[in-house]
Amino acid sequence: MAGCVQAVAMASTGVSFTVSSSLSSTHACSVASEAAQAFVRADGGACKSSLRVLSSLSSSSKHSLKTFEGLRFSPLSAAAAVSEVKGLQMPAQGSEMGPRRTTSTTTVVTVYAGKSSPKLQGRKLRVAVVGGGPAGGCAAETLARGGVETFLIERKLDNAKPCGGAIPLCMVSEFDLPPEIIDRKVTKMKMISPSNVAVDVGRTLNDDEYIGMVRREVLDSFLRERAEKNGASIINGLFLRMEVPKDEESPYILHYTKFDGASKMGTPAVLEVDAVIGADGANSRVAKDIDAGEYDYAIAFQERIKIPEDKMEYYENLAEMYVGDDVSPDFYGWVFPKCDHVAVGTGTVINKPAIKKYQTATRNRAKDKIAGGKIIRVEAHPIPEHPRPRRASNRVALVGDAAGYVTKCSGEGIYFAAKSGRMCAEAIVQGSANGTRMVNESDLRVYLEKWDKKYWATYKVLDILQKVFYRSNPAREAFVEMCADDYVQKMTFDSYLYKVVVPGNPLDDIKLAFNTIGSLIRANALRKESQKITVG
Amino acid sequence: MVVYNDNANIFETVNSEQNQKTTLTEYFQANIDYPLAREEPDTEGVASVEGRKRKPSPLQRGGTLDGEQAEGKDPSAATLGKSKPLVTSGDKFSDPRWIKGTWDLTKFTKDAKVDWDAVINAEVLRRKWLEENPEASSNSEPVLFETSTVPWWAWVKRFHLPEAELLNGRAAMIGYISAYLVDAATGVGLVDQSNSFFGKLLLFITVCGVLLIRKNSDIANLRNLANESTFYDKQWQATWKDSKDTEKSGEQ
Repeated sequence: MAGCVQAVAMASTGVSFTVSSSLSSTHACSVASEAAQAFVRADGGACKSSLRVLSSLSSSSKHSLKTFEGLRFSPLSAAAAVSEVKGLQMPAQGSEMGPRRTTSTTTVVTVYAGKSSPKLQGRKLRVAVVGGGPAGGCAAETLARGGVETFLIERKLDNAKPCGGAIPLCMVSEFDLPPEIIDRKVTKMKMISPSNVAVDVGRTLNDDEYIGMVRREVLDSFLRERAEKNGASIINGLFLRMEVPKDEESPYILHYTKFDGASKMGTPAVLEVDAVIGADGANSRVAKDIDAGEYDYAIAFQERIKIPEDKMEYYENLAEMYVGDDVSPDFYGWVFPKCDHVAVGTGTVINKPAIKKYQTATRNRAKDKIAGGKIIRVEAHPIPEHPRPRRASNRVALVGDAAGYVTKCSGEGIYFAAKSGRMCAEAIVQGSANGTRMVNESDLRVYLEKWDKKYWATYKVLDILQKVFYRSNPAREAFVEMCADDYVQKMTFDSYLYKVVVPGNPLDDIKLAFNTIGSLIRANALRKESQKITVG
Repeated sequence: MVVYNDNANIFETVNSEQNQKTTLTEYFQANIDYPLAREEPDTEGVASVEGRKRKPSPLQRGGTLDGEQAEGKDPSAATLGKSKPLVTSGDKFSDPRWIKGTWDLTKFTKDAKVDWDAVINAEVLRRKWLEENPEASSNSEPVLFETSTVPWWAWVKRFHLPEAELLNGRAAMIGYISAYLVDAATGVGLVDQSNSFFGKLLLFITVCGVLLIRKNSDIANLRNLANESTFYDKQWQATWKDSKDTEKSGEQ
């Protein structure tokens, strides 16, 4: 129905301009392009109203599961990676990728938000991206390509952030990651229940599908270097604090310590910019400076263990997930293969001080498979559980972990960080008309609205899964039992790898619902029985 | 055996100029080397700062719960430490009927048919054992037993029917008493009561009440469930609530 696309343009008093679209069908896509062509570009007047069809339509229609290639240079993946920002559709100078066919069906029209975003005289819009992880790197790249003067501030250029390191397939194509970045392609997963029932997951994957395991230092530097090639300036410095301006025109003043090699401690420096993207992770200072509010977070604790060659073969392309009360009260323990060792870890929200106990339990559960190993590194990091109450304030927006975009149940954050960085940068580029105008909060809220609309369902579904299946040991047993089902595996992997929920066969869904309820009931019945029985 | 490598530079150093903790690894380093400082008694004659609250550490913030709640939403007796471990010597679970990772159904026969109740009992014991003595998962001896092996009617007979009898009994008692009281009060007989909309509504409420509220704790549980299901939504909507407030204040 044509109702899928709504363009709400407030007339001459020019309030922010919102275009919302639904992801669901290609029918909506064709309707939307007709609607876009129907809008006339009006010259003069306080509010230039032309409409841009946002990429959520074009990219979702391209994410057809049957034709997805999974490799970087296929024409389909090039089309899928097309961004809506006009500047990005031309092959970038200096990039190694070469010309790409742009088969976008979007009609390119630009949005100007705000009635009087003043045109900047004699200079481009300056934006600082604080934090150089996936979110910061992708944001800086998109900004630089869009013609904005970009500064990326990163405190440690070789930082190996403690991380599971798993990226979905769609990230490889959407962000054009070269195959060298991926250390391992995990194609099998094992889920292990509290009573050690082990289920193999991954039978439904085809040959091109995998979960990529990356080293964070490699991924982050690749993204940052690509941003630099596109024109962003990388500053090696530690962001200290930010002075918020009193009016719409004055710049933000960022105080940071520059590590330029001259002195070991670094020299204090100051940077003036018009807008800031906070991509500095779970302990974000930018978030503190704009009073973004607190969030609940899990502590993820991980030990990197080097195990003997024959044991390493078992983990060649297999990752394990342990669930149980002993391993974590509300999360899971994992064994993920890295480049030449495994990472064994666990996490929890509600019982953080006892994390060492949970880590010991995880190691014990995997004892047979990691025997003979040596712990080479111990690391821990907070993982946000939900978004901060305030994600945008005046001309500052938060992306990635700083905003709290980590899914529950699986704790996945890399893809969402990179995607939110890109979306926020695109909103800034659009709102500033490629760096020629000042932006304001309504432009940043365009990004928030787009993000919430696109990914809210994903987050909510994972939240429900976590609440239902990580609740108690019987629920975890039922969870592992359900994972043995082929339909469940297919749905799970499809939604994880491509970030698109494909509606399955309704009959299968009903069967699945019955099986889930059956499993839960059986497991709970066994538990109640065990509480009655005392073993002598 | 896993060996802890003390010499590895495993923690990020903190730049003391900034006095910032950038990751929580520093906190763990502190906990390994130095126990948490104990509170010392005040000195006589020197007043301590009134109402001074120490800011909680990162491990105490961000959703951490205290006491039994910290063990999870529905923790087992083993995690709460309420039951003693069955065996402290670290024996693995073993049972003559547990063969190659699954229950051998031929060992459970009674009158030439499988005694499903005994299978359920055996599985209950196995799970209880493992809760209290968690074992390493092993590739050479994988666990293959699935609860769906036990047929549905065995589950119904064992677990559903007794409870159903109880609930039906309660519903019948409540129904009879209410019907009697309403009849005594209004003179409306049972058949006429069930014809009225109000009567049907009360009947519905009674049935739902008997089904959902079986123990006193169920009331609190239901309320918690209702809160839980909307809490995550509220957290996501918080950023929009804020923008509405600023718009309103801008218009004033």
